[in-house]
Amino acid sequence: MSNNVLLSIRDLQVTFDVAKKKKFVAVDNISFDIYEGETFALVGESGSGKTTIGRAVVRINETSKGDIFYKGQRINGKLSREDDVKIIQQIQMIFQDPASSLNERATVDYIISEGLINFKNYANEEDRKHKVERALDEVGLLPEHMTRYPHEFSGGQRQRIGIARALIMEPRLVVADEPISALDVSIRAQVLNLLKKLQEEKGLTYLFIAHDLSVVRFISDRIAVIHKGTIVELAGTEELFKNPLHPYTRSLLSAVPMPDPIYERTKKLIVYTGKEHDYSIDKPSWVEISKGHFVWGNEPEIKKYSKEVL
Amino acid sequence: MNDDKFTFVKLDEMASEKIIAPQYSYWKSVFRKFFSSKVTIVMLVVAVIVVVFSMIQPLFSHYSPSNTPNINDFTLRFNSPSWKLPFGTDPVGNSLFDRVWAGTRNSLLIAFIATTITTVLGVAVGAFWGYSKKIDRFMIEIYNIIANVPFQLLIIIIMYVIGKGFWQLIFALSVTSWLGTAFFIRVQVMIIRDREHNLASRCLGTPTSRMITRNILPYLISVIVTLISRDIPSFISYEVFLSYLGIGLTQETPSLGRTIAEFNNFMTGYPYLFWLPVVVLAIVTVSLYVVGQSLADASDPRTHN
Amino acid sequence: MEKNVILSARDIVVQFRVRTRVLTAIRNVSLELYEGETLAIVGESGSGKSVLTKTFTGMLEENGKVASGKIIFENRDLLEIKNNREWESIRGAKIATVFQDPMTSLNPIRTIGSQITEVIIKHQKKNKNEAREIAIELMNRVGISDAAKRFDEYPFQYSGGMRQRIVIAIALACRPKILICDEPTTALDVTIQAQIIALIKDLQIEFGFTTVYITHDLGVVASVADKVAVMYGGQIVEYGTVEEIFYNSKHPYTWSLLSSLPQLGIKGEHLYSIPGTPPSLYNKVVGDAFAQRNPYAMKIDFEEEPPFFQVSETHFAKTWLLDPRAPKTEMPEEIRDLHDKISKKVAIGGEYHVK
Repeated sequence: MSNNVLLSIRDLQVTFDVAKKKKFVAVDNISFDIYEGETFALVGESGSGKTTIGRAVVRINETSKGDIFYKGQRINGKLSREDDVKIIQQIQMIFQDPASSLNERATVDYIISEGLINFKNYANEEDRKHKVERALDEVGLLPEHMTRYPHEFSGGQRQRIGIARALIMEPRLVVADEPISALDVSIRAQVLNLLKKLQEEKGLTYLFIAHDLSVVRFISDRIAVIHKGTIVELAGTEELFKNPLHPYTRSLLSAVPMPDPIYERTKKLIVYTGKEHDYSIDKPSWVEISKGHFVWGNEPEIKKYSKEVL
Repeated sequence: MNDDKFTFVKLDEMASEKIIAPQYSYWKSVFRKFFSSKVTIVMLVVAVIVVVFSMIQPLFSHYSPSNTPNINDFTLRFNSPSWKLPFGTDPVGNSLFDRVWAGTRNSLLIAFIATTITTVLGVAVGAFWGYSKKIDRFMIEIYNIIANVPFQLLIIIIMYVIGKGFWQLIFALSVTSWLGTAFFIRVQVMIIRDREHNLASRCLGTPTSRMITRNILPYLISVIVTLISRDIPSFISYEVFLSYLGIGLTQETPSLGRTIAEFNNFMTGYPYLFWLPVVVLAIVTVSLYVVGQSLADASDPRTHN
Repeated sequence: MEKNVILSARDIVVQFRVRTRVLTAIRNVSLELYEGETLAIVGESGSGKSVLTKTFTGMLEENGKVASGKIIFENRDLLEIKNNREWESIRGAKIATVFQDPMTSLNPIRTIGSQITEVIIKHQKKNKNEAREIAIELMNRVGISDAAKRFDEYPFQYSGGMRQRIVIAIALACRPKILICDEPTTALDVTIQAQIIALIKDLQIEFGFTTVYITHDLGVVASVADKVAVMYGGQIVEYGTVEEIFYNSKHPYTWSLLSSLPQLGIKGEHLYSIPGTPPSLYNKVVGDAFAQRNPYAMKIDFEEEPPFFQVSETHFAKTWLLDPRAPKTEMPEEIRDLHDKISKKVAIGGEYHVK
């Protein structure tokens, strides 16, 4: 993990039109940086807004307030055709559901080449085929799979096709939106290992969106916890597990069942209701408590957290 | 059992990546599913026979309503069906058989041409309409106005304005139907537009035109075939209905509708004059509909094995 | 303390007709459920875990049948029940099931209250008012606040976690002897999952039923189970108490499952993963079904199906590795001292747990 900031998000807000004149605020006050070469995890439950942020980074979702900077350049909002082409290739996404993220009516060959074809990133037909074969090989599939259709593959294989599709573009930043949640448990490790291997080989940076804290702990360098559209805590992985400050983070950590019967028997569950905070007078803000450890809270809370940090 | 069996064996990891099943082909599966039903095959045969026959027979019979060589021979009028004249003769001594097939030919031609125009235009417009939010805002206003006018009324008015005739009828049918098809396609497109694989394609920078041809339209084949299978019998019925009212085809053009309309009065006196054209109409409509529905079903890959 | 056997399944074989082929989903499984205990059934998809429990309630799909075996419950063989009406006195009343997806388990066009009372009226012969009182009490018991008011609401007005609570209430309305939970929390958020698991545990203590928990999540297994059955390829391959399975497992498949736990992953190194995919049960399985993916496979695994070897009074494993002729094999390094390894991780985590 280097010190160069690859992606920088400041005060981001994303809203959706619900009905005429009514807007739903999906995420608000989002600020964080992602450094080159790291795996940055965004953890939250359903409805927390984590996928919304991921899609805003890939520019599928439009933003209503705030900025997203990639290598110092603002990428949300209108971009020139030239910039658009450049950014599309540099930031790619891996989708969650292998059952619906591939075009069922296209061969694997077309699916993987789609990005290449869009930007004519190959010299001739033979070059393109060669690139596709190499992409398949990198994810552990065979060249003969090129002529097959998605439904002929298993979930794990389909997810690997999705990975090949994104990585053939040679991106720098990959947004992985819950890439293993929909997979069978015994396949997850396979795909995780593949993602790590590819990161090492190509020097990729990951924005890893997930809800499974155990997986996130294994794969990520830093973790941001998001709850109902707001990031409540951000810290280095081990720091977060060692010193969780925000009550939501604590309830999330206590809720994860550990595969250790003796421990589970004595565990105490912490429940978060949202009523732990009183933001009527003192408004909350995003504060760095210790180096690299940020929390969302108002003055009294920040005081309390500062004391708890070892 | 000797102890030698208890020795370790090395794993072959890539073996499980191979796919053993034969190559899947979409169209092969479509046709396999299509031909798996005996009823469909029978209906297909019937439909083909009827269509081919109706196209060819009039070329040999040279039937025309104004061509009445036997009009003065009273013995040749109102003859019941016999071996020489399979459908008997009409009030002017012409073979009903020739008349019915000539009329069917026109009905089918009108239906096929109008359906082709409606479908091509409707799908092309509907695809872009459903895909682009900007076009949708604009088109939906137009649609809301036009859709409130009853179809039958519109077609009658148009026919009154442009007059009777073969191409006039085709024009009227197409003009009043394409928007409905476009709207239907628009709804289907909106349903699949935001599916993950389409988001993925947008993420890869795929332009709208290729999104429509590779990502959206292939999923609409089944829907489009359903529309066609509904339109063809429907247009045949419209021709019959309008000619019945006297505003479809001209007097010189053989028409099933006018035939049925004219012979309505003979239902009790010479029932064969009325019922034979009706039966032929029914066979044509039903067989085409069943074939169309089966094809629509077969085109949906969820029905493939 | 000797617990009573409440249900005994012997030599169950389940087959499905799929077009022209036959899929043998359950290949000779025997199992016993003890009163007041929780049994967790773990396995990948396709291992047969859901199919097995469906035989207890006569809910196999149209094209499935139990080809052979006995299920003894309350002194009768459940597999001798031929018509649906007889099953109805068992299903919901004596053996109830909670399914994974609370969205589809509830009828969207009927009120929540009516769905609970329907079951009570049918099986307990109470009138509408009595049933309503019982239902509201149940709703309170499963943690629905304002139960009397929410009684008349519809499923769409409930969140996913609340719907699952209602599904549990309906399942328990008739005080069944056995509650089968088929991945009840897989579709729910982890915080809701923890609450639902705690709820089921509490209710089990209060109502005294036996729970069967089907899951693929070993964390959930550690949290809920007294006994564990590990299934693979339509068979139970290892069975034991939860401590035996986690700390002293003997079957290579169980080893693989434990080895691939992310909690055991070491940052910077690769996570252990089981290569390949489960076998197709359309074909007759020769030998051990796990052989092709088994890093400890021996020649004999490809030729003959292993029998169950007994490890302790409660612990059995179906692997040739336990045969006296097999080379002495220890469980992999990664999963030894599991408790210590995981404790270390948790100990780093702050004071949100009680030691």
